Amino acid sequence: MANIAVARIKREFKEVVKSEEVAKCHIKVELVDDSFTSLRGEILGPPDTPYEGGTFILDIRIPETYPFNPPKVQFLTKIWHPNISSVTGAICLDILKDQWAAAMTLRTVLLSLQALLAAPEPDDPQDAVVARQYKETSDIFSQTARHWASNYASAPHREPVMDDKVAQLKNMGFDEHKARVALSTHNWDIEQAMENILS
Amino acid sequence: MSSYYDEHDCSPLADGERPNHMLHLARLLIDGGYASDLDMEFENLFSGEKKAPPASKKVVEDLPKIPVSPADVSKNTQCPICRADFELGETMLQMPCNHHFHSSCINPWLERTNSCPVCRHELPTDDPDYEEYKRHKARKVQRDFELESLHDSMFG
Repeated sequence: MANIAVARIKREFKEVVKSEEVAKCHIKVELVDDSFTSLRGEILGPPDTPYEGGTFILDIRIPETYPFNPPKVQFLTKIWHPNISSVTGAICLDILKDQWAAAMTLRTVLLSLQALLAAPEPDDPQDAVVARQYKETSDIFSQTARHWASNYASAPHREPVMDDKVAQLKNMGFDEHKARVALSTHNWDIEQAMENILS
Repeated sequence: MSSYYDEHDCSPLADGERPNHMLHLARLLIDGGYASDLDMEFENLFSGEKKAPPASKKVVEDLPKIPVSPADVSKNTQCPICRADFELGETMLQMPCNHHFHSSCINPWLERTNSCPVCRHELPTDDPDYEEYKRHKARKVQRDFELESLHDSMFG
């Protein structure tokens, strides 16, 4: 790896560790190994959103050409959000693509992702199903996102009705995650969700 | 009294010069409200590929290079790209927006795109199509402003 990339990640690391967001436990970065090319990020779900209080883990890959090209970031924690794939965790965010600038850092990327959780952009979706639900039935979207956050990101606010429906399908022998995806996709209609899993 | 040419913001034709009918037609279309179609045309041409071209080589060569001063060092001024502190004996390259970088850090960036990595201030490029696109965007802003002020003067 080119020297500038490693040297900069090392300097950034110190900066993130000292930052006040880390002090308040809002963001975190850790090394996965000692190569400085593969990192693990963590963001706290922002207040007054369905993600509030959840811990979302990110996989961060530093390209050799960093900081002239953006880091490759995706969610490892499953999340229900219009701009994040509920299947792969891939993120649709302009600064991680053509709007990247060499002065941006791991810290600004993590803060931007936190801002994305607080302000989805459904007109530039990564997950079309979630984006449609966000636009058409925003109440169901919020509850679904909160349900996913409580189950996958240890967020404190549960959605008992949705938990029950997932449990019902699970008791019938369906895979829990598959049941959750099918229910979320079909606005929590159990019959439609079952049809979807069985088809 | 101002002359016809001043009032209409144009200049008389030179000897042997013929009127540019295409230009007049274009202006007529824009003034006639076809500008929004033209905007779409430009969007179609450029939106697929928003990435701006590299900065003009000449402009980059001519950017001022200034020595790092003891004041910069005592303030721990950093190069925003490599994030290392500037040190005495080094030179900094100064962008028109007053942001400073190591030449070896900013040059690879300006070979990719034309904007300041800190504030996105755009340098001129060597790409005529992109320059035309930028002028078009500026004219659109100006048009919107004029329309707005005209509207305000009538109904404000």
